[in-house]
Amino acid sequence: MNPTAPASGLSRRRFLSGSAGTLALASTPALFSIGAGDSATKPLRLAVIGFGAQGRVLVEALLKVPDVRIVALCDIWDYARVYGERLLKSNGLEVAGYRDVEELLAKEKGLDAAIVATPDVFHAPVTNACLRAGLHVYCEKMMSNTIEGARSMVRTMRETGRLLQIGHQRRSNPRYLVARDRLLGEARLTGRITAAQAQWNRAVSTDLGWPKKAAIPADVLAHYGYPDMHTFRNWRWFKNFGGGPLSDLGAHQIDIFNWFLGRLPATVVASGGSDYYKNHEWFDNAMVVYEFPLAEGTARAFYQVQTTTSSGGGYFEQFMGTEGTLRMSENPSLTTIYREAHAPSWEEWVQKNYLRANAAPAPEPGAKVDARETAALATYRLPVVTNKAIHQYHLENFFQAIRGRAQLNCPADEAFHSEYAIFKAIEAVETRQLVTIDEPVV
Amino acid sequence: MTTPQTSQLCFSGRTLGFLCLRLWLGLRALMAGVEKFSARVTIQEPLLGADGAPDPSGAIVEIEKKVYGLSHYHAVPDSLATKFAEEPLLPALLTRPFFAALGPALLVLGLLLLLGVATRWTLFAMGALYTFLTVGLMLIGQDAGVSWLAIHIGLVALALALAEHNRIALTRA
Repeated sequence: MNPTAPASGLSRRRFLSGSAGTLALASTPALFSIGAGDSATKPLRLAVIGFGAQGRVLVEALLKVPDVRIVALCDIWDYARVYGERLLKSNGLEVAGYRDVEELLAKEKGLDAAIVATPDVFHAPVTNACLRAGLHVYCEKMMSNTIEGARSMVRTMRETGRLLQIGHQRRSNPRYLVARDRLLGEARLTGRITAAQAQWNRAVSTDLGWPKKAAIPADVLAHYGYPDMHTFRNWRWFKNFGGGPLSDLGAHQIDIFNWFLGRLPATVVASGGSDYYKNHEWFDNAMVVYEFPLAEGTARAFYQVQTTTSSGGGYFEQFMGTEGTLRMSENPSLTTIYREAHAPSWEEWVQKNYLRANAAPAPEPGAKVDARETAALATYRLPVVTNKAIHQYHLENFFQAIRGRAQLNCPADEAFHSEYAIFKAIEAVETRQLVTIDEPVV
Repeated sequence: MTTPQTSQLCFSGRTLGFLCLRLWLGLRALMAGVEKFSARVTIQEPLLGADGAPDPSGAIVEIEKKVYGLSHYHAVPDSLATKFAEEPLLPALLTRPFFAALGPALLVLGLLLLLGVATRWTLFAMGALYTFLTVGLMLIGQDAGVSWLAIHIGLVALALALAEHNRIALTRA
């Protein structure tokens, strides 16, 4: 075990350490090491459970991570699983394929960890089973399609003492870490944060299909609770299986609100509905306003997700303050930092390579149509580059934690707080009332 | 009474003026030549904290640096090169060897002028080089560049007019 690692209890980095707004977080499992000697350096043996779109993204990232080896692949859809087995074989990995998780756990001995990328409804039972089988688990967000499911995962993590990382991958992205810890934390570039905004807008899309020859037999679908193949392929839109767009897309970004602002919101109001797609259960659009009582004063955070238009500036999370604005996105081209004209000089942070000034655009004659308009702001960019797939950093953090060389960047009990705020937003959409967000109890 | 050696160092005003011109034109050509072998490249380095240690996030930052090297040679900026290429009166048959020689020629002429080697002919060659470059700039409508080079050629002409006052040179011609 790494001598620098704490003996027990994961201490968390806190953006607002010591502030009244910090989360009252529950205890987490002891930092786990797979042991000294051979285990600490031996390749970790992994099972990938769920090989849909997200499972493929994670496998692509896993193939680039040194010292890990996928040895088992599980998916109820033979078509996807066989594709995955061939993909892995083409990368020199012979894996055992399984349709059923319980069979996998019964037969596969010597596994170190499981990567769970099933539909949301299976996250809790699969993760809990893996934890109880002694595996560490990396589980995609949302933790579950129900708050009870998510809560059970935290409890199982604590009971078993295994590690459970939730796939809010931005928390391990160096660009986000520098933005949060250096730009907002150390440099306080934005001054007092008064507002935040995030969004993820997507164009209209058709439902996912499937090759008719590859359809899952009805009895197998029924065994896993699916009424038909259309529901299986488009589970994200159905309430028994997923959490809708606020969960699929909003989970990452609302988590960034909480992580960057260092606490849960106090209230939420929201509006949304299933206004376009006629065969979906979950709403296809939502607009949410959270209220964050921060130490320096209230900040409101607006979040919108649209699945019927891709316009509106793409996807980003933006923190607006009295001296500047930080617009973050996983896409570096959508990341910009704006400096208010009256803000103190940022030259110190430029010299430290936290920022890079953009060339000032030439003023356009007649561009200002109202004398009350604020002058165009100087813009800066984040010079941090990511040379890896966006999920790779988070996966590597998980593996480093297993080896006792790091702390999890998103342990389940911390993710639970963010997911709690998302469930409350869904509640606000459905009840059309202001919802108070109390401290979640695990 | 001064010794012959001392009297040689008692330069007239015209000699000093010429030496100033020679020095300026020599350095100007030398630096212009050197800069044609420079480039701004982006490199990646770990982000460092206040203590000089890598940031805990493991962040890598892109840093723009100016570097020199033969591989970075460029006779003119890309924007001008494109305009030269599009100019029908400047065939590649002429521009390609001219651009290939421009940087090395500036380096050699600048060095010869500073050392005082064949000063008159060096000045003349420098004037000719600037004139050829001016022709190209005229054809692509770069009036500011033409004016800029005209100043250079005026200084070269003045230097040639004062060249008989040359001193501190490796060769007398």
